[in-house]
Amino acid sequence: MLAPLVPAAIGPEDEALRAEVRAFLAERLAGVPGALRARTWMGFDADFSRDLAARGWVGLTLPVEFGGGGRSPFARFVLIEELLAAGAPVAAHWIAERQSAPLLLRYGTEAQRRDIVPRICRGEAFFCIGMSEPNSGSDLASVRTRAERTATGWRLNGSKIWTTYGHKAHYMVALVRTSGGPDDRQAGLSQLLIDLKTPGVTARPIRDLAGDEHFSEVFFEDVDLPEDALIGQEGQGWSQVNAELAFERSGPERLYSSTVLIDEWMDFIRSRGGPTGSETELAGRMLAQLATLRNMSLAVTGQLARGESPVVEASMVKDLGASFEQSIPALITDHLASVEGPVPAPLLATLDYLAGMSPTFSLRGGTREILRGIIARGLGLR
Amino acid sequence: MSGDLFLDSFRKLLDGLGSDPWPELSASGFLDVLRPEAEGGAGLDLSGLFPLAFEAGRRAAPPAIVQTLLARLADPEALDCADAAPVLAAGGVSAETARALCAAADAAVMAGLIDALQSMTLDHASTRRQFGREISKFQAIQHQIAVMAEEVMAARMAAETALIGAPLDVSGPAAAVAKLRCGEAALVCSGVAHAVHGAIGVSAEHALHRYTGALHRLRLSHGGESRWARRLGEWALSRRDDAATLARSL
Repeated sequence: MLAPLVPAAIGPEDEALRAEVRAFLAERLAGVPGALRARTWMGFDADFSRDLAARGWVGLTLPVEFGGGGRSPFARFVLIEELLAAGAPVAAHWIAERQSAPLLLRYGTEAQRRDIVPRICRGEAFFCIGMSEPNSGSDLASVRTRAERTATGWRLNGSKIWTTYGHKAHYMVALVRTSGGPDDRQAGLSQLLIDLKTPGVTARPIRDLAGDEHFSEVFFEDVDLPEDALIGQEGQGWSQVNAELAFERSGPERLYSSTVLIDEWMDFIRSRGGPTGSETELAGRMLAQLATLRNMSLAVTGQLARGESPVVEASMVKDLGASFEQSIPALITDHLASVEGPVPAPLLATLDYLAGMSPTFSLRGGTREILRGIIARGLGLR
Repeated sequence: MSGDLFLDSFRKLLDGLGSDPWPELSASGFLDVLRPEAEGGAGLDLSGLFPLAFEAGRRAAPPAIVQTLLARLADPEALDCADAAPVLAAGGVSAETARALCAAADAAVMAGLIDALQSMTLDHASTRRQFGREISKFQAIQHQIAVMAEEVMAARMAAETALIGAPLDVSGPAAAVAKLRCGEAALVCSGVAHAVHGAIGVSAEHALHRYTGALHRLRLSHGGESRWARRLGEWALSRRDDAATLARSL
């Protein structure tokens, strides 16, 4: 049995940030169609990221001495909740801010902390995460990309695939084999920091079903990396990655992927006046899920704020959240197919995008099956 | 009395109840916890009621206990009350508030019942052996129980966040979320619990049906999922706010 989640509330000081962020977004996103906003943390816009950074909104929780805002996780919750609900294009800095900077602060060398983290906070250093490989998907421990020790550091060979914005990022944090062989599984894996400008690195985007190029394949051919490319300890990559995933899995990005569609749909229903019983019922069902998930995500943020590592709880929120996000286009399709009269084209465009991409919600960041395995382990079943 | 001691004595009381629980319940003072201190009660607000209702659920205690607690807000003599809503309405509480309060309290009891289903299911899956090993070692079982665990957390969160503030100030929309979400979780968790227990769980002597039966009856009381979904949706669509803003106020 797991300890129950403790409901958490956002204090007035952190809540005060909301109005400022909303005002900024209302201005910056005015006129951006819903189908584009629905991309949200898949939407790459370096200028937008730098504008956020100029306001101090990249690295909000990171220490002031490294260029961060020194604020609480709840302040960040407010900020990212507004960014995601509005559908802001935050992909450029998202991974660097959320997990790479905390990782470097924890395990990086002093030089890396001093050099890279402030650039992340200025929106100048973008990161990607090198996990999957052509023959390693959910079975992440089977990665074959390998770094061998050299006189000056490491020589890297192999490739990564499905890497979000690997072709646009400046750095990759990759999980690679540094000792042993595939039979050693989790042992012998390490995290490496790779400057993607290093000779021998090539990246090509992969087009997705919506025509976007957000993920990529990255190749390493005799890439010579310095000694300090190793993040943390040699052979400890697996446990370091898992601690990092608690940050990745618990956040509001697992709840708000379809809210742009809910908002456009609710506006459409309101514009018609006098909602039917099935319309109020659908609105209520979606909202009840969203509200409950938000309170759960907030409670997990409370755990992070207390210094806990809620790996299992974060997996539960992500699994439930992904199912919720996936249900939205299906439910709204059913409704819109049944209404009399025309449906606004922008609403249909948003719907089409999310209907196409929603299967990815339970793939990215750990598949549904992997998450349920983590939860089962947390319950003592394996 | 500190919160833990208070809850502990409530647990002991429930565990010791005989076939006619009401004299003992009356004597304990627990039926008056929501009433003002000046009138001999404990002046608890809804966040104080939540753990009591949850514990009553965990023990599959008679559902009339929590309803009687609520009814005593309007009628200090109420006893063995199956449904507090008409009693509250007769005492001048609006019908909508009375129903929301009863539904939110039902949700807390349901969250407790669902929590108990999870304990029973984990226990059974870890001891029952088939094909030479505990059935908890099968991935198909593990994934069903993982889903159940998510529903347990969601149900509790929805109920706990609806039970906040003074009883008669209960939020209609928050109560709607709680009753709707706990109703959905009740269906999923009852299904998983029975699936994992197999035929053993359907026998009259096994405790499982007391819990799943209680959940079924609570789904039937004070409005079902679609009723509360419509109330919540009417509230949402009558405002201009976006979904995230609406969710924040729940």
